[in-house]
Amino acid sequence: MSVMTVAIIGTLTYWFFYVMDPYILSWQCLNRPIVVAPILGLLLGDFHTGIIMGASLESIFMGISAIGGSVPADALSASIVAVCYTVLTGSDVETGLAIALPIGTVMASLSSIFLSVSSALAPYWERLAVSGKPGSFLAQNLVFSGLIYPLPNIIIIFLGIAYGVTGLNQALNALPAFFMTGLTAASSMMVAVGFAILISMIWSKEVASFFFVGYIMAKILKMDSLSIAIIGAAIAITMFFYEKQLIDMKNMRVAAEQKPSEEEEDFF
Amino acid sequence: MEKRLLDNTEKKVLKSMFIRSHLTFLSFNMTKMEANGFTTTMQPAIEEVYKDDPDGKKEAYARHQNFFNTHAVPFSFIAGLSYAMEKEHKEKNSVDGKTIESIKAALMGPTAGMFDSLFFNCLRIIAAGVAIGLCSQGNFLGVPIFILLYGVTQSVLKYFCVKFGYIYGTSFIDQVFSSGLMPALRKSASILGVMMVGAMTAGIVNVPLNWTIHMGQTSVVVADVLNSIFPGILSIILVLFLMSLIKKGRRPVQLIVGIFAIAFIGAFIGIF
Repeated sequence: MSVMTVAIIGTLTYWFFYVMDPYILSWQCLNRPIVVAPILGLLLGDFHTGIIMGASLESIFMGISAIGGSVPADALSASIVAVCYTVLTGSDVETGLAIALPIGTVMASLSSIFLSVSSALAPYWERLAVSGKPGSFLAQNLVFSGLIYPLPNIIIIFLGIAYGVTGLNQALNALPAFFMTGLTAASSMMVAVGFAILISMIWSKEVASFFFVGYIMAKILKMDSLSIAIIGAAIAITMFFYEKQLIDMKNMRVAAEQKPSEEEEDFF
Repeated sequence: MEKRLLDNTEKKVLKSMFIRSHLTFLSFNMTKMEANGFTTTMQPAIEEVYKDDPDGKKEAYARHQNFFNTHAVPFSFIAGLSYAMEKEHKEKNSVDGKTIESIKAALMGPTAGMFDSLFFNCLRIIAAGVAIGLCSQGNFLGVPIFILLYGVTQSVLKYFCVKFGYIYGTSFIDQVFSSGLMPALRKSASILGVMMVGAMTAGIVNVPLNWTIHMGQTSVVVADVLNSIFPGILSIILVLFLMSLIKKGRRPVQLIVGIFAIAFIGAFIGIF
């Protein structure tokens, strides 16, 4: 199989799995190495390499998980490039595995760039959602997630397989340092905008202090969110019954005020 | 709570929501995370509930286009619950918009933590362990077994979650409303909601200040000084400052452009 054929099959497989999961199915399952590598091996006509690499790659990437939107290494692109490389060069599986992790790291930092840039679209999605055209909203989202957003990744994966991955790393290093730092900084602060909109909806003087209680529990006491939720629920339930008592008392007083007048009417 | 039978319209809406709930990460971005997926999932419900009320529809869309982030399975539960709340909001005006926001905000943090550890950190490891064992011997069965154990289970659970969220939500709200306790629920929901948003702010928002001032022999790390006043004080200031701007009527796009500008200028002069 020629280099071009392998590059095209590898890129199309990447594209299929990248769009299918998480965007269409959201299982975080189909894009794992254990699924991708055997299927790509099958497509490239070297099933045995694919399935063995799938098992090894899954063992490597199993512990590397995405927490809070930042991924240390991208398992999907690493699997694709590693399998293509091994099938192309006919080298042993270990060499293919050795290049997987660096590719995963490069692709993860590229993904965080695109993620940061795509957050600029949030106001556009909001306007589109409120405009009340559900069909158009879904269609534009599907086109964006299926075609536009994956496009840079697809091109990079294709170039990486066809012309080698060293050039990719050099190109990334050639970018001015402040550009990368700026994008990473913007990405980690961007979520504050979403939070600010959300809080402005539920904020009131009565309950604002609990924002800081929740913050301190998570930041300083380092509690996990379930424990915080249980304490929060305890406060909320206490508050609920306290308010219930007030409502009951108010109802009783209203009833008591009405009662004498009724009796008077009966009396006369 | 007696068992409620669903009529045909409700069944149709719930089925459509179940299928759409697979689009959890649709157009995922750092500003609102899963908001687009949630709006898409809520569309059948909002279109059905507000079919003759364009203003209410607009408000409902804006409500469900807010920041949202949780695991894909409880995502369906919260969507089903939101359908119930929107329906009660429209038909009996029992739940107000703020309570819907609060309940969503209160649920997303803990459910994310719970289901991430249940699925991503537990079931996935078990499924991958079985599959790796089979695949390393060259047995293709490992692949479908992994998909079945880890993927298909999520879809099956999503189906029950969206239904359960709707039925449970409706009967719960009915009960609270008929006993006249809605103001009490509103207040306790907003306490829990605000508290969970505070906890999430600590976990997710981060101002990556990396600024050292050199003065002769000594150097001062600004982030350390600020964090010794109060850990993560900059994240709180950022979120509250942005909130005050939104309350003053600034549009989100202005804030996003502003953050990009600050990030690039900051990186250029070397404080990030």
